[in-house]
Amino acid sequence: MPNSAMKKKVLLMGKSGSGKTSMRSIIFANYIARDTRRLGATIDVEHSHVRFLGNLVLNLWDCGGQDTFMENYFTSQRDNIFRNVEVLIYVFDVESRELEKDMHYYQSCLEAILQNSPDAKIFCLVHKMDLVQEDQRDLIFREREEDLRRLSRPLECACFRTSIWDETLYKAWSSIVYQLIPNVQQLETNLRNFAQIIEADEVLLFERATFLVISHYQCKEQRDVHRFEKISNIIKQFKLSCSKLAASFQSMEVRNSNFAAFIDIFTSNTYVMVVMSDPSIPSAATLINIRNARKHFEKLERVDGPKHSLLMR
Amino acid sequence: MANVDDKHHLISEVDHEVHPGPMNIQFDSSDLRSKRPFYIEPTNIVNVNDVIQRVSDHASALNKRIHYYSRLSTPADTALIAPDHVVPAPEECYVYSPLGSAYKLKSYTEGYGKNTSLVTIFMIWNTMMGTSILSIPWGIKQAGFTTGMCIIMLMGLLTLYCCYRVVKSRDTIHSLNTTTWEYPDVCRYYFGSFGQWSSLLCSLVSLVGAMIVYWVLMSNFLFNTGKFIFNFVHHINDTDTILGANNSNLVICPSPGSGGHSDNDSMIFYANDTAVQQFEKWWNRSKTVPFYLIGLLLPLLNFKSPSFFSKFNILGTVSVLYLIFLVTLKSIQLGFHLEFHWFVPTEFFVPEIRFHFPQLTGVLTLAFFIHNCIITLLKNNKNQENNVRDLCIAYMLVTLTYLYIGVLVFASFPSPPLSKDCIEQNFLDNFPSGDILSFIARIFLLFQMMTVYPLLGYLARVQLLGHVFGDVYPSIFHVLIFNIIIVGAGVIMACFYPNIGGIIRYSGAACGLAFVFIYPSLIYMISLHREERLTWPKLIFHIFIIILGLANLIAQFFV
Repeated sequence: MPNSAMKKKVLLMGKSGSGKTSMRSIIFANYIARDTRRLGATIDVEHSHVRFLGNLVLNLWDCGGQDTFMENYFTSQRDNIFRNVEVLIYVFDVESRELEKDMHYYQSCLEAILQNSPDAKIFCLVHKMDLVQEDQRDLIFREREEDLRRLSRPLECACFRTSIWDETLYKAWSSIVYQLIPNVQQLETNLRNFAQIIEADEVLLFERATFLVISHYQCKEQRDVHRFEKISNIIKQFKLSCSKLAASFQSMEVRNSNFAAFIDIFTSNTYVMVVMSDPSIPSAATLINIRNARKHFEKLERVDGPKHSLLMR
Repeated sequence: MANVDDKHHLISEVDHEVHPGPMNIQFDSSDLRSKRPFYIEPTNIVNVNDVIQRVSDHASALNKRIHYYSRLSTPADTALIAPDHVVPAPEECYVYSPLGSAYKLKSYTEGYGKNTSLVTIFMIWNTMMGTSILSIPWGIKQAGFTTGMCIIMLMGLLTLYCCYRVVKSRDTIHSLNTTTWEYPDVCRYYFGSFGQWSSLLCSLVSLVGAMIVYWVLMSNFLFNTGKFIFNFVHHINDTDTILGANNSNLVICPSPGSGGHSDNDSMIFYANDTAVQQFEKWWNRSKTVPFYLIGLLLPLLNFKSPSFFSKFNILGTVSVLYLIFLVTLKSIQLGFHLEFHWFVPTEFFVPEIRFHFPQLTGVLTLAFFIHNCIITLLKNNKNQENNVRDLCIAYMLVTLTYLYIGVLVFASFPSPPLSKDCIEQNFLDNFPSGDILSFIARIFLLFQMMTVYPLLGYLARVQLLGHVFGDVYPSIFHVLIFNIIIVGAGVIMACFYPNIGGIIRYSGAACGLAFVFIYPSLIYMISLHREERLTWPKLIFHIFIIILGLANLIAQFFV
């Protein structure tokens, strides 16, 4: 019986300067509080209160390349760090000139995972891909992916190539989140039913802290493939503005003669966005539908109960 | 869960239930127009099928991304600023409305790289022209006329070469994005934190040195201005009593015999007149006037941002042009007085070659100093390939200006009655306080310096407090203490050692050692060595430059 007080961790690790703090800041909409280049390694364990998908806590660690003080601290705290890990996300800088060293540090992290949290899911992000020429990106990524898969045995790792300057970062993290949700197929089926019943054009389910898309349903082809990330960025920007006024974002309605869109809190871990292209349906109707659906989806989460720690309150 | 049957119920329920739904903007479905925060007039809504120039989805996604990232960090943090290879070129940038139509702005340049060569050359010239121009005639006198001219040209060439090395230094770093780097950042890259701290120290030395010189000069000019006004109001003409030339255009020798600097001219002759006596007592060049300045300038130093003062930048150019005009006029009126004695000093002339010439090189190191900001100045040049050419032209113009003023003042100094040794470290001191033309010059320079002084203080404060405390304005107490120390140093110098030539040459040689001589040469040699292109001639030449810089500094103490 897992101790419900112990939070499960998502470890975000990688060499110092590989882009983890920026990544965390962008995905979770935190301000970058300081210039991490100047201060060197990030010590981020106890201060991270970012909750994610229920009760997952995000921890950042610099792994490899820091000074001996950090190295010793890291080694002494090793078991502590790698215990109770749900997800390990390891970030590789594609421009790094010390490939051997990077792989070495990665393998030592994997060893620690094998010892302390053998059920953890492992994801590898090959980051800063915008610095590679476009025509070479696929080739370089595939090479890296092969190497990483080989090195990770017997554990399985999923690889993504990312850059903060295009949609790949958002997509990678959305895929990661998607794989972390235990009953995602059931969620998708229910979402489809919901959408068809209320005659919505599109329904999206977002994770609450990061606005990463967990699942979506659309009844016809949409033109803009980047729309998920755009909505996520817009809302996170709005949340930042709200926090300046000590207000918190709850819901939004956008309406014109062509469509009406509603963004609202859904379950304890998700937000929903409903797009209706029939403007004659009054807002009130859609909002009531969302309210009733909410009750159903919450029941859905609770049914799968305590054995899915992700959805525990 | 609402299913098909419940739909009718839902719609009818609206009428008689105040739904306790989410607390967002909710309004009666019957009144579609009330309380909308962002209501777009129907005429402004463009049909989705209209064929207009539309922004691509990729571009608008990137736009949104950049907007969002800019909210996550401070402007100073470069981690989330879009790098050049990600942002489209300026010609491809459009302004688009949320409705999807896009407009291209004709004159979209964003102020980056829009200065013509002429403007860049003028800005470099303007920045380099400082108060060291007042000490150039004295420097020529110290070095000897011929030696002085040769040294001015040689120093100009040497500092130009080092400046060229500074400009090219960023190109030697290939692995990092150096577009926002200034020269201290390059030093930090090559020499670690030692490079950072030493370049900070040298920058501070030059700034604090300049501020002390400014204080001395401002006291001087304020004193002379006050004296002029007092004499004008009380109709006193005191120029007859001082050792001067015998014509209407007077040049005076305030300190007969070398060294010493009389603070209160003409005191002994008016012992009977109590008004003048009182004035002399309260308006003294080195005992009281420096303190009066404190009340004027210390408050100005405490401002968080002195951008207001940068609007007066034009005063500097006007002052220099006026000085050129003044010097030309005076030399026409006074005529040339030159005699060439090569090694032996005579009663009125100095030899052509003197051993005091390092004093001139010290002054010139600061006079030609622009190495800590040349990268920023050249960044805005429209045609970057002309950078080197524009730099050479600017240096040539600066050298010509210095030569012109130095040679004219030196040559026209009336030598038969006065000795060339009388040329003061601030050549305006050679004109009596009753002279109208130099009074105007002093007023111009006084105002100009009063507007530049807070800017210098701001730069020094930002660099020192920013690096030591991490915050450019930690608290009013830190800033106040810093300002009091700087002002105190200026006041002490003005009281006890108001020789601006001396201050300029010591601070110039000290800060020039790092920025002008050592770092550019060393960085060039290191980068060549890394690329294995270092040849013996280059090595010897650059080591020679470093030795010259060291000799420059050491000689200041012995000559």
